[in-house]
Amino acid sequence: MRPGRPGDTGPHAARRRRTGYLFSFPGLAFLALLLAYPLLYNAWISVHDVGLSGLLGGPEPFNGLANYRATAADPAFWHAVRLSAVFTAGSLLFQFTLGFALALLFARPFPLNGLLRSLLLMAWLLPPVVSGTLFKWMLDGDSGAYNALLRSTGMGALSHDWLNDPATALGGVILANVWVGVPFNMLLLLVGLHGIDPELHEAAALDGANAWQRFRRITLPLMRPVSVTVLLLGLIYTFKVFDLVFVMTGGGPVDATDVLSLYVYQVFFTSFRFGRGAAAGLLLLAVPLLAAALYVRRLRREAREGEAA
Amino acid sequence: MSRTFNRRDFLRTAGSAAAAVGLGAASASCGSNHQGGRPSTTTLTWWDYFTAPNFQAGMKTLIAGIEANVPGVRIQRRTYPFADLGNALTLAAVSGDLPDIAIIDNVSMNALGGSGLLADLTDRVKTWGQADKYSHGPWASCQVGGKTLGIPNNSNCLALYYNTTMLRAAGVKPPTTWGELAAAAQRLTSGDRFGLALSAIRTEEGVFQFLPFLWQSGGDLSTFSTYGATALAFLDDLATKGSLSRSCVGWTQQDVNAQFLSGRAAMQINGPWQIPTLRKSDLEWNVVALPSDRTSATCLGGENWVLTAGSKHLDQAWEALEYTQKPSVLVPYLESFGDLPARDDLARTGTWASDPALELFIGQLALARPRIYGAHYADASQAIALAEQAVLTGSATPAAAAAAAAVKISTALGRT
Repeated sequence: MRPGRPGDTGPHAARRRRTGYLFSFPGLAFLALLLAYPLLYNAWISVHDVGLSGLLGGPEPFNGLANYRATAADPAFWHAVRLSAVFTAGSLLFQFTLGFALALLFARPFPLNGLLRSLLLMAWLLPPVVSGTLFKWMLDGDSGAYNALLRSTGMGALSHDWLNDPATALGGVILANVWVGVPFNMLLLLVGLHGIDPELHEAAALDGANAWQRFRRITLPLMRPVSVTVLLLGLIYTFKVFDLVFVMTGGGPVDATDVLSLYVYQVFFTSFRFGRGAAAGLLLLAVPLLAAALYVRRLRREAREGEAA
Repeated sequence: MSRTFNRRDFLRTAGSAAAAVGLGAASASCGSNHQGGRPSTTTLTWWDYFTAPNFQAGMKTLIAGIEANVPGVRIQRRTYPFADLGNALTLAAVSGDLPDIAIIDNVSMNALGGSGLLADLTDRVKTWGQADKYSHGPWASCQVGGKTLGIPNNSNCLALYYNTTMLRAAGVKPPTTWGELAAAAQRLTSGDRFGLALSAIRTEEGVFQFLPFLWQSGGDLSTFSTYGATALAFLDDLATKGSLSRSCVGWTQQDVNAQFLSGRAAMQINGPWQIPTLRKSDLEWNVVALPSDRTSATCLGGENWVLTAGSKHLDQAWEALEYTQKPSVLVPYLESFGDLPARDDLARTGTWASDPALELFIGQLALARPRIYGAHYADASQAIALAEQAVLTGSATPAAAAAAAAVKISTALGRT
């Protein structure tokens, strides 16, 4: 029995347990202060009528579920939910498939492989404000690089003010977010690919399986656990994206890119309705939280399976 | 108190613990402190959003003047980007780290006015006796619920700039009515050049530019479904004829000026703060009043000085504020900023009387309306911005957009 475990009954058990708690204290304190406290505070606000004057000492009456009801009755909220769903689904689909394709490419040895891989990571390392501004410029109607490219290749008729048209703005924002997310997907999937025993591929090749069959029957099934993990993490990261969208479109034109995080921001900082903002914020949190719970459960199961093996 | 455990208790409980891990470190730096110097020295904290380099010299002179002339006062200034100052004040209100003095956009008086965040200056202003020196609009923007909550710092408004060369070449006279504006814009449009540029961005900036059209048509926020539709239809018409770029839904006023400077727009709607930039270019330009429809109107912009209600140094802060309003201090300060005065007694002095462009803007201030609509104006403003964007991007007809906005506006402004 290792010291500090709950079942420990050795001569110095009590002291060892105390030491154990001491070690876990910084972590617990961190969680309590920076996670539990703001979340509880937010939950408290979400059931009170808190406006600007409330923050300054005015009355903040308890109003039960009124904030949640008002949020649920707001068409702009449901519009934001739909946009967030499209944004997340679109981003994940392209990030994952492109990331997978690149991972397959970089899994093979070729000259400059390492260098190219590190360069690709740049996209993920850039602050979202920088990548957002970059794409805002590139998608600009007048001087943007995309339109210049279209014109120079004789497709000038397709040139367009991408981010100022409600029909294409969300697509433009998704494009930027895909660019940001591809390296992250690629990196994790590459690690997964390296974990597949090359002998499996060799054996299958000897048995006459072609490349497509090997990919379909060996790579894909064996990549399933990694893929689910990557998608869950992607979901958590993508659903709450704020800065990228804020920089690129600020939610516009009209309300074409008003994703949930921007909706919450506006309720808070434009309308100063803190109670409703907190309620919407908690609802915004629900989706990533669910994904996180699934992710943690998977991690536990993998750990158990790992121990069993 | 009816509750046993309110939000402030909740904050207080965790506050000390938060300070222990250093969360307090960041906020502590902006509170007033009495350390350093003689015990009689008071450090006043001061927030504004004048971050651009060309404002710094004038601001430094002003602050040095305060410190030299107001006994025992030191100023600790902090600047925020334009869009962040309101949020910073809100957050500071929560944590209790508000500055003593702030210079805020006059439209912020709507949200902050009823909140109790701003100090009531009514009695001090009465004793001071200078109220009648200020122009009507700016002064009105400082009055909320019968109290004086601020002192106007400066004023600005919108007017119509035009490219003299382009108008001469096209044989077009500067427009004075909506009809003339539409005709001129159409004749000046050619190739990749638009007749008119304005900002229809989805923020207060875009609404600042839209409201004059609403007012000129004879309407206001309370009659938006009718007159909002008229104003929106006028802009829609400009965009449909190609005289106004639909990209203006993404342009800030800075972007609009860039379009004008690069010759991609023959006319632009913009404020006096663009004059220094325009003078640096070789462009030949002039500026006239905004064209009128049923009536003439422009929107009043500018900043107000405010003191915060929780300040421990209200007397010193007021003294500092009083000092800044002495004409001998105020005039060079405003001139260094390229700002227009918010006082009638200074409007006909110095460069404001000798510079024709500034003179035009000064004259327009008489028609400039302040945006005084109450605590929930921001929601109404958001509804207007959405309506304008919907029309200009072709997602809604002017009538439908105006009707939808009118409902939101009356909900927002009807709330107490």
